[in-house]
Amino acid sequence: MKKIILLGCISFSSLVSFSQKKIEYVEYDLPNGIHVILHEEHSTPIVAVSVLYHVGSKNEKAERTGFAHFFEHLLFEGTTNIGRGEYSELVEKNGGALNANTSQDRTYYYEILPSNQLELGIWLESERMLHAKVENTGIETQRSVVKEEKRQRVDNQPYASFIPEIFKRMFTVHPYNWVPIGSMEHLDAAQEADYVNFYRTFYVPANSTISIAGDINIAETKKFVEKYFASIPKGEAINLYRDVENLSDEAFLAKYKVAKSKFDLTNFNHLKDLEAKKVVDYYASKASVIPRPTKTNETPKSVLKDTIYDNIQLPALFIAYRFPEQTNPDFPALEMLNEVLSGGSSSRMNKTIVEKKQMANYAFSFAYGLEDAGMGIFAAIASKDISLDSIQVEIDKQIELIKKELISQEEFEKVRNQFENQFVSSNASIAGVCENLADNYVYFGNANRVNNQLDSYMKVTREDILRVANKYLTQNARIILEYLPKPEIETETVPKN
Amino acid sequence: MNTIKKYILSLGLIIPAILFGQVDRSIRPAAAKAPAINIKDSEVFTTSNGITVILSENHKLPKISFNMVMSATPMTEGSKAGLSSITGELILSGTTNRSKDQLDKEKDYIGADLSADKESLFLSCLTKHIDKGLDLMSDVLIRANFPQSEFDRIKNQTVSSLLSTKSSPESMANNAESKANFPKGHPYSEVMTEESLNNISLDDVKKYYKLIFTPTGSYLVIVGDITKAQATELVEKYFSKWSGDNIYNQEMTPSSKQSGNRVIFIKKPGAVQSVINVTFPLNVKPGDKDQLPLTVLNDIFGGGGFGTRLMQNLREDKAYTYGCYSGLNINAYGSSLSASGNFRNDVTDSAITQILFELDKITNGYVSDDELNLTKMVMAGNFARSLERPQTIARFALNIIKYKLPKDYYQTYLKRLESISKEDVLLMAQKYFTAKNCNIIVVGNEEVLSKLKQFDADGIVEVWDAFGEPIKETKKADITKEQLIEKYILATTQTTSIKNASKKIKKLKAFEEVAEVTIPQAPFPISSTRIWQTPNTEAAKIEAQGMVLQKSYFDGSFGATTSMQTGKKELTKEEIAAKGKSTGLLPELNYATSGMKYELIGIENLEGKEVYVLKLHDGNSESFDYFDTKTFMKVKSVKMEKTDDKMMEITSTYTEFKEVNGILFPFKMAIIQDEMSFNIKVISFTFKDKVDLKTFK
Repeated sequence: MKKIILLGCISFSSLVSFSQKKIEYVEYDLPNGIHVILHEEHSTPIVAVSVLYHVGSKNEKAERTGFAHFFEHLLFEGTTNIGRGEYSELVEKNGGALNANTSQDRTYYYEILPSNQLELGIWLESERMLHAKVENTGIETQRSVVKEEKRQRVDNQPYASFIPEIFKRMFTVHPYNWVPIGSMEHLDAAQEADYVNFYRTFYVPANSTISIAGDINIAETKKFVEKYFASIPKGEAINLYRDVENLSDEAFLAKYKVAKSKFDLTNFNHLKDLEAKKVVDYYASKASVIPRPTKTNETPKSVLKDTIYDNIQLPALFIAYRFPEQTNPDFPALEMLNEVLSGGSSSRMNKTIVEKKQMANYAFSFAYGLEDAGMGIFAAIASKDISLDSIQVEIDKQIELIKKELISQEEFEKVRNQFENQFVSSNASIAGVCENLADNYVYFGNANRVNNQLDSYMKVTREDILRVANKYLTQNARIILEYLPKPEIETETVPKN
Repeated sequence: MNTIKKYILSLGLIIPAILFGQVDRSIRPAAAKAPAINIKDSEVFTTSNGITVILSENHKLPKISFNMVMSATPMTEGSKAGLSSITGELILSGTTNRSKDQLDKEKDYIGADLSADKESLFLSCLTKHIDKGLDLMSDVLIRANFPQSEFDRIKNQTVSSLLSTKSSPESMANNAESKANFPKGHPYSEVMTEESLNNISLDDVKKYYKLIFTPTGSYLVIVGDITKAQATELVEKYFSKWSGDNIYNQEMTPSSKQSGNRVIFIKKPGAVQSVINVTFPLNVKPGDKDQLPLTVLNDIFGGGGFGTRLMQNLREDKAYTYGCYSGLNINAYGSSLSASGNFRNDVTDSAITQILFELDKITNGYVSDDELNLTKMVMAGNFARSLERPQTIARFALNIIKYKLPKDYYQTYLKRLESISKEDVLLMAQKYFTAKNCNIIVVGNEEVLSKLKQFDADGIVEVWDAFGEPIKETKKADITKEQLIEKYILATTQTTSIKNASKKIKKLKAFEEVAEVTIPQAPFPISSTRIWQTPNTEAAKIEAQGMVLQKSYFDGSFGATTSMQTGKKELTKEEIAAKGKSTGLLPELNYATSGMKYELIGIENLEGKEVYVLKLHDGNSESFDYFDTKTFMKVKSVKMEKTDDKMMEITSTYTEFKEVNGILFPFKMAIIQDEMSFNIKVISFTFKDKVDLKTFK
């Protein structure tokens, strides 16, 4: 007994002294415009190699949606030096893993490899950037695969269409009108040339950021990056290189007025043939032009309410407000506001709508931050026999309350603690650090945000939260979607077997 | 600390000569020297109240997690299926010290994650909040108080979630998989329904918690920014006062091997894709020596990445799907394999064909060297990468203790993996895989149903609901209940009028039937003797190796049952009254006068045959009789008896009808009662003038 009491008095202040190590990194630009970020960390003998292409669904043409995501699939099909299906095999048989993901704003590819395969990872990614195979065989296969992905992730999943349905209504001018999965009809209608053009436009050095993290030696890694990425031609010269590889002699001559044979692809940036060198230099000096949409200020003009019938059993309500872009100084306050309303089981929406009133099975909200605009979405899946109107009344009460009164000091501290915890957890894996470095550089122009991101939240005051609530939670201008079960299809008896 | 070198074999490519500024991109980079792999040993110690503590120290981030895991076996919940998961959801509903609101507030205040399920309680928080975090965690563990209001709320909410199961094809397929792979009564086979949810009381929840959550035999897995000294102190401070019962332990019925493929269809109106799951149980346990080669086999088959047989065939080659994977679920109390994916409606049948084709193919030939090497490399890579997470190290330590694995099980993992040959893989395929005894589960649009029949061994697709219960399609009967009884009597007695039937029956005063009984669990022969004398004297006994296991009799006014286990029990008044309603050799002859209540439900499909379903109510119990619509013979009977608070269901099926004195009797019967099944084969059936009850009393 005595022992226990004694122990109770011991303070564990010593535990507090551990704090998170700063993430050290080096960053630089290659002459061809690729931005490089390297982070050395030896706790596990693995390395993450990634390339972020600053192209997402918002860079697509309105009549060719789904391209950015489609490329995420297509670019595993192989390159000039890597056979069809071999790309992932090369990674896997060397003990690695690979994947990619696409958002409205960017496409991100990565490999996680044993650290002795660093060079392989760099070579693989450089191959993908320089000369991936964009051909009908691969296009056909991946087209079907993407269609199945859409059926599985969107069409066949209850409520899953709410994101596209909201974006469609929120943005009528900006290409956030559609989401990365895009339109299957557009993919069908597209020709091989459309795909080739997309690759030539967006998969260029000036549009990419390399991030490598893990058990590496910085000097050695720089050498590999130099070898495989610095050798990729600058500006429009990359497409000249691709034409040397893909065009017939005649077509090449007609286009460039120089014989293809004069170009040595193994030493493209230092050609001996002066005529060819002149052509390369000319195209290298022509900067890549990346089409980017203009930001719009569009917001809903009034309350736009719609009903969607889905294959669901429980009705659901989605309310969306226009938020600013993620880099806007107001955004951290909006994220914290969101946390007050739905972060954790003590959050306001959970306590009232789910627990006290038992009107919804789940109530959640999130601050959707993108490069050009943002959105705040509040949602609830109704409990059995509860009307969506009554749920809306409750959500609105919570919104009115947070617009009217400062959040309590206790709630404020709670939210700050929650953000601190999230921040620490976000850098738990090498792959996570690698991706955070790239994202922060591209979106915020500051890779170091991996270390000081928390500051922007710790600066937010209770008054800021009240202010942004009033600024953005506009009750007279928002989108409300009601999800209702499809009227029961009369099911006839099962045909006799 | 141990070191394993060279876990990745280098590719053995020629190292290119690097010339400045010149790159030959066709040369693939060679691997550098393989890094060493370290698996840090975890610290293991036990507490005085029986907790095994496993500590994996890691100071990379200022975070700690504590996971308290119980070691009880899963429990059969029967009519209360879902009890364990409801309890899991309620654990964080408050303690005798803190209301739920208070608990939620304090937990969120430190930004901690505190969560619970049916067998564990988990805490994760920043190091600086560990004292507060453990204060909350131990409060819950020791003083969870399960308030009525939260119980009611979670129950209501669960009713709603059960509804949404009907819109999730994956949940429906999972429910069907559980029911198809594991025998009735096995905890893995149980699926919560609205009915079973209603049967759960708050008292059940409290009892369950007390039974399962006990320090004896539990594991506390600590991962993160803490030293052993600190961990020891914290465990002592927060968990030494926790006490409880012994470990709950129950026997599990193993899955039996089925014969032939069985197709199960679950309707999902409006579906644009079918969820297909081809699955079968496996007789393998965690840590068995077959586990690793079986995992290699499964990874080649469909468990690995893009290069697997299923993925290459169904996604890359045929583009039927976004992904087709196989999962090997090796659990302590029952294992299974499932190959599944989402396929668009029009290729549902083709996809099944291809999955079965691949299952068959892999049992019929060696995997290629490339496949084997690739898979081994992938697994070695996964293993190496998984070591980044301190949770992995802790899990290894937990598994070694939990499944009694050799201490160096994970240290030798890569070496054992490396030594697996294609012969080993084929052996695993032939031992465990099958394309002929699978459960083929399809959740989808009704339009795909007609294409599924071809895959079922007996050509009959079972249609289940979202919770794995068979859907009975009942059609209206084309005759009345009286007509049915008449036709049955005429068929059994092989006469053309009731008058003749009665005459024929009246002549028969008594019979004795001797049968041979086989019970799968009993290795010795069992015999049964049944006698009857008009109007309603009857008796039966079951004997094995010269011993009477059970006997019963009824002499028209009194009766009793004597069994070896429970002794003699006299029939109750109600039972005697019920017997009175069912008299005569052919009780149906007397339904009009005996007071038996019965109604004709309709026509149902019974294993491919159409049957009339007749519901009987004799005052004490309900039963259902099934009559073949063509022959009018009684082919099945289900009797529901209520004993105390339990429903007992006895199902009898009758086959091989033979004529004795002009009357048709079944010579083969199968009786299923709870988990027991008996097969009865009649040896002799003799009519007599009278019988003697003496040896049955």
